[in-house]
Amino acid sequence: MNAKAIIELNNEKREQLNEENLKYYEDMLVYIRLNTNKSEQQTEEVLLELLEHILQAQEEGRTAEEIFGKDPKTYCKEIIGEIPVENRKRQILFISSIILQFLAIISLTHGIIGFGLHYFFDLGSANTTFSIGSGIAILIIDVLIAFLFIIIIFKWLKNTVFKDDKKQKKWVEFLQVWAFSTFSIGLFVLVIYLMPNFGTTVSIPTIYFAGLGVFLYLVSFLIERKKRSIQLR
Amino acid sequence: MTLRSQLLKGILEGCILSIISRQPTYGYELSIRLQEFGLSDVSEGSIYPILLRLQKEKLVQGEMKKSESGPKRKYYSLTTEGHEALKQFVHHWENIKRPVDKIIEKGEI
Repeated sequence: MNAKAIIELNNEKREQLNEENLKYYEDMLVYIRLNTNKSEQQTEEVLLELLEHILQAQEEGRTAEEIFGKDPKTYCKEIIGEIPVENRKRQILFISSIILQFLAIISLTHGIIGFGLHYFFDLGSANTTFSIGSGIAILIIDVLIAFLFIIIIFKWLKNTVFKDDKKQKKWVEFLQVWAFSTFSIGLFVLVIYLMPNFGTTVSIPTIYFAGLGVFLYLVSFLIERKKRSIQLR
Repeated sequence: MTLRSQLLKGILEGCILSIISRQPTYGYELSIRLQEFGLSDVSEGSIYPILLRLQKEKLVQGEMKKSESGPKRKYYSLTTEGHEALKQFVHHWENIKRPVDKIIEKGEI
């Protein structure tokens, strides 16, 4: 059974948990899953085991807290510490597919919006003109910003799980994430504006970017499938 | 880690290996067995980090299998190295059990 099938099974089974156990278990699930450098297969296998354990105990009228204690965070850290690190090849494939998906979305949006603005509203030109050197530099920096964004959000999420006063501070959390996201998008655009032109200038029809986007997405999909086919324990 | 908890962990690992060696066992079943044998102080959850470690050390292997009652579960069984480790544990235990018992008995008199 591969990780994807286990995740689906987990989603189904989780519905059988009562409210109290669900809250307890989902915090554990989020906290453990946020460790992306750990073996996905082992992570999902142990998550399903924990779920099964709670479900069986629930039938006997016992709660998740009685099984795993009052300090689930420490318990989860113990679990995470014992999960083996993800296979290097799978890690590389995973990161490549994320980068490609990210580039695919940017390319597709640029292609469709640019083309639409020109074709329907007569705004801008039908071609996109850019310097190859600056284009590549922008892509590299923006990919790095995106990764930093993900890493910080994951860290932030890990800190917010297992907090009791969650409900009261919901709006504060929302504001934090909102401000941080706005800042990141600003940084993202700033790089594009501040980058000086260097390298050969090329001009290609904007709609081609849409095609490129679809192509990149297909490649990322294939990489994802390749990653899934590597079953290593 | 304190010596006390290290000692307990080692013993618990040995017990887990021993239970799994009799027949393929899944997590919940294993924790129930431990309790039935009287190890009620061992918190149920503590078996999972140990099972993960035993897998990493290749002493046990887990396999997702359909259980008799229906749902798919991860059944653990011992590897060759696991049987070897169990043998060693039993040997060490036999060597330490009697002397320790004797020392404690003497102390009480």
